[in-house]
Amino acid sequence: MRVLLDELMVNYPYFAAMILFIIGAFTVLTRSNLFKKLIGINIMESAIFLMFIAAGNIRGGAVPILDEANPQTVCINPLPSALMLTGIVVSVSVTAFALALIIRLHQSYGTTDARRIAELRKRWHANEGNH
Amino acid sequence: MTDLALALLSGAVGGILIGLTPRAGNRLRNIVALVFSAASTVFSWRVAGAVFAGRTIRISGEIAGLAWSLQPDPLGAVFGLIVSTLWLFAGVYSFGYMAGEHKQRTYYTYFLLAFSVTLGVAFSGNLLALYLFYELLTFATYPLVIHERTSEAMKAGAKYIIYSLSGAGAILIAIIIVYSWTGNLEFAGGPLLAGGGLRPGLGWVLALFVAGFGVKAAIMPLHRWLPAAMCAPTPVSALLHAVAVVYSGVYGILRVIYSVFGHELTGQLHVGRILPWVAAFTILAGVIIATQQDELKRRLAYHTVSQLSYILLGAFTLHPWGLAGAICHMISYSTLKVTLFFGAGIIAKRTGKVRVSEMSGVGWQLPRTMAAFGVASLGMIGMLPLNTFWSKYYLMRGGVATGKWQLALVLITSGLINAFCFIPTVVAAFAGERGQPTLETGSGTSLMLAPMLLLAGIALLTGLWPGLVWPGVDAVVDWFF
Amino acid sequence: MRATIEVHLPVFVVIMPLFVAFVLPTLARRIRLVEGVVTSTTVLWFLGAGYLASLVLIRNGNPIGYSLGGWPAPWGIELSVGSLSCLFLLMVAGVSLPVALFAAGNMAHEVGGPKRITRFYVLCLLLGGALAGMAVTSDLFNVFVLVEVATLSCCGLVSSRNHPLAAEAAFNYLILATLGSALILGGIGFLYIITGHLNMGFASQELNRIWQEYPHVVWMAVSFLLVGFGVKSALFPLHVWLPDAHSAAPSPASAILSGLAVKGYAICLIKVLYNVFGVALIQELGMHRILTLLGMIAITAGSLFALTQDKLKRRLAFSTVAQVGYIFLGLGLANSMSLAGTLFHMASHAVIKSGLFLAAGAIIATTGNDRISEMAGVGRQMPITMAAFTVCSVSLVGIPLFSGFIGKWNLLLGSLEAGNRLAQAVIILGSVLCAAYLFPIIRVAYFEPAPAADWQDPGLPQKTALILLAAGVILLGVAPGPFLELAKRAALDLLVMK
Repeated sequence: MRVLLDELMVNYPYFAAMILFIIGAFTVLTRSNLFKKLIGINIMESAIFLMFIAAGNIRGGAVPILDEANPQTVCINPLPSALMLTGIVVSVSVTAFALALIIRLHQSYGTTDARRIAELRKRWHANEGNH
Repeated sequence: MTDLALALLSGAVGGILIGLTPRAGNRLRNIVALVFSAASTVFSWRVAGAVFAGRTIRISGEIAGLAWSLQPDPLGAVFGLIVSTLWLFAGVYSFGYMAGEHKQRTYYTYFLLAFSVTLGVAFSGNLLALYLFYELLTFATYPLVIHERTSEAMKAGAKYIIYSLSGAGAILIAIIIVYSWTGNLEFAGGPLLAGGGLRPGLGWVLALFVAGFGVKAAIMPLHRWLPAAMCAPTPVSALLHAVAVVYSGVYGILRVIYSVFGHELTGQLHVGRILPWVAAFTILAGVIIATQQDELKRRLAYHTVSQLSYILLGAFTLHPWGLAGAICHMISYSTLKVTLFFGAGIIAKRTGKVRVSEMSGVGWQLPRTMAAFGVASLGMIGMLPLNTFWSKYYLMRGGVATGKWQLALVLITSGLINAFCFIPTVVAAFAGERGQPTLETGSGTSLMLAPMLLLAGIALLTGLWPGLVWPGVDAVVDWFF
Repeated sequence: MRATIEVHLPVFVVIMPLFVAFVLPTLARRIRLVEGVVTSTTVLWFLGAGYLASLVLIRNGNPIGYSLGGWPAPWGIELSVGSLSCLFLLMVAGVSLPVALFAAGNMAHEVGGPKRITRFYVLCLLLGGALAGMAVTSDLFNVFVLVEVATLSCCGLVSSRNHPLAAEAAFNYLILATLGSALILGGIGFLYIITGHLNMGFASQELNRIWQEYPHVVWMAVSFLLVGFGVKSALFPLHVWLPDAHSAAPSPASAILSGLAVKGYAICLIKVLYNVFGVALIQELGMHRILTLLGMIAITAGSLFALTQDKLKRRLAFSTVAQVGYIFLGLGLANSMSLAGTLFHMASHAVIKSGLFLAAGAIIATTGNDRISEMAGVGRQMPITMAAFTVCSVSLVGIPLFSGFIGKWNLLLGSLEAGNRLAQAVIILGSVLCAAYLFPIIRVAYFEPAPAADWQDPGLPQKTALILLAAGVILLGVAPGPFLELAKRAALDLLVMK
């Protein structure tokens, strides 16, 4: 028990990341509102970003700008943050595209509920080609 | 070598030519089909002659790093002879039978293509070529099976393809395993697996091969596609499903036992020892079911199932006499079965009757047809003076020589049941009063009748003088033993 | 000049389609010009890929390395062009060319108006560039970026038809694909955390040194990566987005999606599994058995589902699910013959599936209906289209003389070597089922009476595309020499411990 609590104290960002990931995945898979699915995706991706950035952190490390005076100071790892900037940009693009699709779906079906859309689709487009 | 290539190509070229000319008249088309079949037959005879004279003919190549070859040996030459001769007869018969039918272009296209592919099976020199032509044969014969385009025909076609492809799949696995053991798939140069001794899994490979080829050879319980395929036109049923396609399966099994495993190795495997009994079962079960069929073509179909296992029985005895009987039966049975089917076709065409129970008195309307039919029926029982007497004789000798006298008993029993199968029909055909108008008139009928009478005549001839076919049979047996 | 091109060719091959994609919107109104530019780009791209492949073959398969921006690994992003990369590049470029030909002049009705055609081509080129990048990259995060580019382009392509069905299919695809991306990023994260490297070569060395200290993390990494890439390459049961997406997309897009995009993710998975983890570690973790099992289930389930579909494009989509199963099966068997068979099967399936989808698109566009039961007699009215369809179907079943046979032969040899009897049976079962769901289409098209309609073959560029693909199928089947050689070398490279 002691060991577990110690682990938790040291690694709490990773636990938080995993919990967020699970919340996000759960939201995506179980909620039928399209916006909520999208938010779930965003939560999942934030979780992964958190994991990376936490991995790059060094407790007591300095800001990663080279200090000519003391070149040996321990800096936190800047690479994961840079990578996650890319990731955030990707996440934003995906969100934008998904929102556009939701608008299109709302225009056609008048609702943003996935189950309702499926029902309406079966009724209106049952015989139509998916070609 | 050119003979071999031309034999295979004539059929293919003729088929493609007919296929691409939708506007040709029927007469012209028939002449073209006749010319190309005859050419193919002539070249096959030349190839066979060269093989029996001891010359080696070989065409080989490589596809994707895998070697294929066409190299007929005596077994392939005998098969090729049977196929090419009978195809010519069936071609002439078709001219009479198919006159006035629909879709003649499709029919003759695939008729010739299937001829070419079957010769490919016969003349193949390694397992890969055999597998290739075997698969192609399924596709070349499919349009012929579904020719009538009724829902029954379509279902029969689907059944045929599924059965055949599954069988081909089993064969492919077995070929892969053999390839991984020996790296070489050639038939010439002795049995492929003989040198390696008793590897584990050898029995499974034999079972896979026999099951795979057994689909086309209509071993029970893989035979179910054959009665369904009887909805095809009669020349197709006669030639393909009583001779060519089923003989490809039988040929495949003969190749596996004698060229891949070798008769010594087969005898050492459990699976190899059970096989004669599987064949015996099919012989009896097939002919018993046949006697219960009322539709004549279905009766002939189940009878085919039974008779094919005669050949397989001879092969499975792994004895020179058994093999001689098998080859002899291949030759003799094919002539008789084709005669029977041709007769059924003439009866159906001229009187419209397809059921045996309705055929009393038919003999007076179609005297020559029923006479030939009767001769062929006698042959099926295995009586002198027909050629099947000799094949049954050697089959029984083979059975006795290997200590399995029960097999000889099975053969005698099935001969008796064969009598029940056919003799009542022939007798009933000549029941009732004479003097009914004969229906054997017209050029169509003579085109159908002539091959039938010729074949019955050949059966009688080879029955009285078996020396005519003996050199061929001898050559095959000597090659393997 | 030539030396410069040769040195920078690995990155040119990736950048060229991307650059043209960025330039295309400026030409938006002149559709003919756009189509001409796209076609010439694909031709140049194919020539470039071919030249690169020849360079690699001259070096006896030793990979050509390239550092982006001159920054050497492990600080910079490294590209590594070996036999696997060349095979995939040739595949992508080679299939894109007929697809571009098919799309020429044919897209207006599919995407809902001439104004949207340029957008379609932009997305296609972006996807092509991303796939080329996946072929050559040797850096884990670069893989993630390219996967994202590819995902967004694929979703864009799926939604390019201006129809609510397409929008719904694209949304579902986007959500599931992004779920996969998050998993992939998580897997990469785990690998980075324990090895400290993003470069595949360095990560592999480090991982093999220290993996025993972090067994759980390695397990999590490989699971996340497998599920993530599995969602994207439509591994059963993660394939649920594929039938809707590939049938809602326009036909040239379906061809690229089914034929190339799905394979791109599989190639990335192969690289990560074999170049980073290494075959010994995979077998240590028991991953290979899981892959084999999933592959077998996918083959069976995909084929069975395909049998029940009456809509032509949905049937072809489920066929893709089944064929992806073959890829995973070969991956799991993990010996040189099965890997060579997998890679060759990937290449041949790309050509085959594109041919099938393009022919299907032509048929649906001409006849106006997409159900197989209503396609009677199409074979006689549209002979070239149906002939291409027949050639591709026969090849997919695995008849000798066609490309599918060679992939199957090597897979069977591989499963024999691995001692896996069930895999052999499933491979054959897959072929029989493939015949069962493809041959009825051919039968209905050729052997049933046609209604009195006037259907014709599509125009010349479309016919050329179909003939090129069918010829490619036969060529790969009869003379696969260089491709099979590439596949075999790639397989050996993958199995080498670095």
